[in-house]
Amino acid sequence: MSGGATRRDALRVMGASIALSALAGCDQPDEFGHPLHGRGRGVASEDAVFPTTLELDGLGRGVLVRTRGGHPIKVEGNPGHPGSLGASDVFLESAPLSLHAPERSRHALQRGRPAAPGAVRDAFAGLRGEGLRIVTGPLSSPTLRRLVAEALEASPGSVWHVHDPMADPASQAAALAAFGEAMEVLPDLRAARTVLCLGADPLGHGPAQLALARAWREGRPRLLVAEASPSLTGARADRRLALHPAEFEPLARAIAGELGVGGLVAGATHLAAASLATALREAGPGALVLAGRGQPAAVHAIAHAINAHLESSALRLISPPSGGGEAMAPLEEAMRAGEVSRLLLLDVNPAHDRAGFAAAMGRVAHSAHLGERVDETGRAAAWHLPLAHPLESWGDSRSFDGTPGIRQPVAPHPGGEVRGTVETLLALLDREGTGRDAVRDTWRTVWGEVDFEARWEEALEAGVAGEPAPAASLALRPDWDFPGSPFPPGLAAHFAPDPHLRAGAFAHEAWLQELPRPLTRLSWGNAALVAPETAARLGLAAGDEVELTLGGETLRAPVLPLAGQAVDCVTLPLGFGRRAGGPVGEGRGFHAAALRPADGAWVVPGLALRATGERIALIARESQPGLEPDTAKVVAPGERLPPFAYGSSLHQPWPYPGAAWAMAIDLDACIGCNACAIACQAENNVPVVGPADMARGRGLHWLRVERHDRPEDRSLFQPVPCMHCEKAPCEPVCPVNATVHDHEGLNAMVYPRCIGTRTCSNNCPYKVRRFNFEDHRRRVDTPARNPDVALRPRGVMEKCTYCTHRIQAARAEGRLDTVETACARACPTRAILFGDLNDPQSAVARARHDPRSYLMLEELGTRPRTSYLARVEEGGA
Amino acid sequence: MAPIFTPRADARLRLVLVVAALLAVLALALGYAWARSGSTWAVGKPAEQPIPFSHAIHAGQLGLDCGFCHSDAARGAGAGMPAGELCLGCHQRVWNVTAQFAPIQAAVDAGLATQWASVHRLPDHVRFHHAAHLAAGVTCATCHGAVETMPRTVRAETLSMGWCLDCHRDPQTRGLTPVGLGAQPYVHAGIEVPPLTRCTVCHK
Repeated sequence: MSGGATRRDALRVMGASIALSALAGCDQPDEFGHPLHGRGRGVASEDAVFPTTLELDGLGRGVLVRTRGGHPIKVEGNPGHPGSLGASDVFLESAPLSLHAPERSRHALQRGRPAAPGAVRDAFAGLRGEGLRIVTGPLSSPTLRRLVAEALEASPGSVWHVHDPMADPASQAAALAAFGEAMEVLPDLRAARTVLCLGADPLGHGPAQLALARAWREGRPRLLVAEASPSLTGARADRRLALHPAEFEPLARAIAGELGVGGLVAGATHLAAASLATALREAGPGALVLAGRGQPAAVHAIAHAINAHLESSALRLISPPSGGGEAMAPLEEAMRAGEVSRLLLLDVNPAHDRAGFAAAMGRVAHSAHLGERVDETGRAAAWHLPLAHPLESWGDSRSFDGTPGIRQPVAPHPGGEVRGTVETLLALLDREGTGRDAVRDTWRTVWGEVDFEARWEEALEAGVAGEPAPAASLALRPDWDFPGSPFPPGLAAHFAPDPHLRAGAFAHEAWLQELPRPLTRLSWGNAALVAPETAARLGLAAGDEVELTLGGETLRAPVLPLAGQAVDCVTLPLGFGRRAGGPVGEGRGFHAAALRPADGAWVVPGLALRATGERIALIARESQPGLEPDTAKVVAPGERLPPFAYGSSLHQPWPYPGAAWAMAIDLDACIGCNACAIACQAENNVPVVGPADMARGRGLHWLRVERHDRPEDRSLFQPVPCMHCEKAPCEPVCPVNATVHDHEGLNAMVYPRCIGTRTCSNNCPYKVRRFNFEDHRRRVDTPARNPDVALRPRGVMEKCTYCTHRIQAARAEGRLDTVETACARACPTRAILFGDLNDPQSAVARARHDPRSYLMLEELGTRPRTSYLARVEEGGA
Repeated sequence: MAPIFTPRADARLRLVLVVAALLAVLALALGYAWARSGSTWAVGKPAEQPIPFSHAIHAGQLGLDCGFCHSDAARGAGAGMPAGELCLGCHQRVWNVTAQFAPIQAAVDAGLATQWASVHRLPDHVRFHHAAHLAAGVTCATCHGAVETMPRTVRAETLSMGWCLDCHRDPQTRGLTPVGLGAQPYVHAGIEVPPLTRCTVCHK
């Protein structure tokens, strides 16, 4: 190698001039003297993983939080917890981001001004006393329920109200009528053979999504979906019907009539009823009918009756883990009448969700709002008290099936005036002790003194603190049916939670705002969704502004015609139009909740719609232009796709002596939930570019989830990461060799070499390369960033790395057979497989030999390492 | 008509060209020297630490093992900086000059991490795994120099990419036996590629 050394020396001397010219771009020791954190107290090592529980709609999902030097950097599912089963969703993944949000409250505010030191004590003193009203979200937490009960006992005449913008009063009323007590249906999609969803969206975002999606994947029941607006379940349905809200009750009655369900008071007819009833009858005890949010109580009751009639074994009835509490409407009335003098709002935002609530709060003498940020309710309240982040404070919760879990803090408590919910109730009760003590007291009464310490340690270690709620066996009452008044035809308003923001609780999460919604593809805003037929009738196009009038209230909103939307049904996504709560959420989209009636109805008839002639720019990312539609393949059951045929190549062959990393994505399992995309963003420090750059198509998501149209307005979702081609078209065209091939088949990107010609992106047939038009490093460089992934400066390309840092970490730990990318780790249906192609036993190698396996744009001869498994549908493509 | 160029114009042009060439060579030489000089890479420059810690006393005179404070070096990517409690564990008994330990005591009281200033930090896009290097037989002193002689910890080597590659290209010349990844050489396009020089080995 002496010749090589000479050449190298010559290059070194030549390189001096380059060193001169590239001084600015060089990695000078600019990090010299930067802090190197010693370990915090009780932190066993730099890398630590803690099990804890995070809530969605008051129901817990077990997670494992990865921390580095005491800072949480990534949230992953806890495989031992029934609410997550090792997977995660967009809400869990974004938890570390909000921990470091700059707009978070750190100090108590009195009438919007910083409170004097020690004055918070007066706030609590003012709340103690007769007639206290406590408003919480849905509570499953045993400790919070105990403390609320004690607070009610301490103040005579006090009332606990539950504010839940996601609640479905009709389903509660139907359960009462059908079973005589409040009950919740837990579907068992693993045992079901045919599931009829009447507006129900079991695969959609929600506290049970991860468990239901996994069960659906394993059991693969036939899904028959009737819905007013496209949902993730409808996208994956085997048969889908778009129904106007007025049609659901007649359809349900007609099906019940066909099946001969006893106790049906009124019959009806519907064209689709006979075939649906036959499908249910054929499934026998494997049949399951689910009624969803927004259905009238009668439809819920009929669903219970059909399940009882067919003796369905695919469901369990449990007592709701977060039940209890009074409704909000009587509170609002009492407030307006001036009868409420003490009001404590714990981590809820009714001033956003309920139209007249903020005005009514003005009549309450002592009102205090506990929240992470000064939102609409925080502004209207006399006191705003800063709330600790769930990752900073102690608590507990129950999952959708009633399994309890303890929430332990994984980040240092900010201290000062910042309190967790448990600590706030302790302060209200004027009790000594920490949140941890309160949680331990609760579980001490449950478990008893014997072996308490051992059980406590075990519960913290496992992330699960007990068994799921027992299944109730209740017979259907004979008088279950109560026909409502028929829903009038004509334009109906259909309120729906936004897939990423829920009813607004996640509006401050920039990742969730920016990621295109699975079906509408919108980011940084919402739109009134109308059927293409309705839009054509009214002469409306995407982005046209309309004036919506409902119940005397009017609102302006852009429209978006969406295939699969029921005719004459306008879906209004909640969660937008925030007027407070931080710069990320404020002023985005329109405030659909302003039109929602006070009883929290999800579907309301009598909507009037008028075009204003104005236009509002919608930020939507359609599927990548230029990609042919057959990039996502569909096969009939049992159909075989041709095996890969590699032609000859002009490129030098690469040897792959060690591992050969590859990914296989099962399109038949993907439900389009976007968890992989957010997991990738969290893992790889992918910046948020903001609405202006998103509108220019400059989003930086390394993994995009494409949507393809299927018959019956269903959708096929296709996650597209970098293909890591063995004959990568991007590599030979780079003038500075900034994108290079790796010995394990990774297509690596050398950021310091990149000069931003973007030739690689031009030459990439899959369009998976992203360019940094701005320098986002300062905003990404928070303690929540992943220190294992470099930040990218302005003017360089970036793209999926197959989580090369995870591969290296696994190699260092000697567990190369268990490498998982962040997207594969998050996927609730395990649609993404990652592994070593050189190991014939690996799941990804076996997937390559599956008859459904194909390569995207195989004819180009790029030999991608990412392969797909085609979706299976009756009738095939 | 007078000539445009005087007889000496040609000579002057030649002189200017020669001087320009010499200047260019000088600039290259200076640039080369600058880029290769230790001071450019902050070699020998101490950083401001929260307390005047001396490796010469702890590692030199007292003979403490490196792993006593940097306990993750043998098992993790980062070597690990000591928690404040570790310092105070000894210093509550010996040499307990309260004023000197105030920053550490304050961090411990607040439950926060002590902020040491990094002397050997690598750029953001570099992945360095301490345990992997120790397992391959690289000693602490190879990169960190003789810290047991340093009253103020300073950088002993440039830690530039070229400096890393000197070893990664041919570990055997340093008396190290390649293991794991380093023992899997391969040939591409007729050139034998030293396995430890591949980008993804050290870059994230």
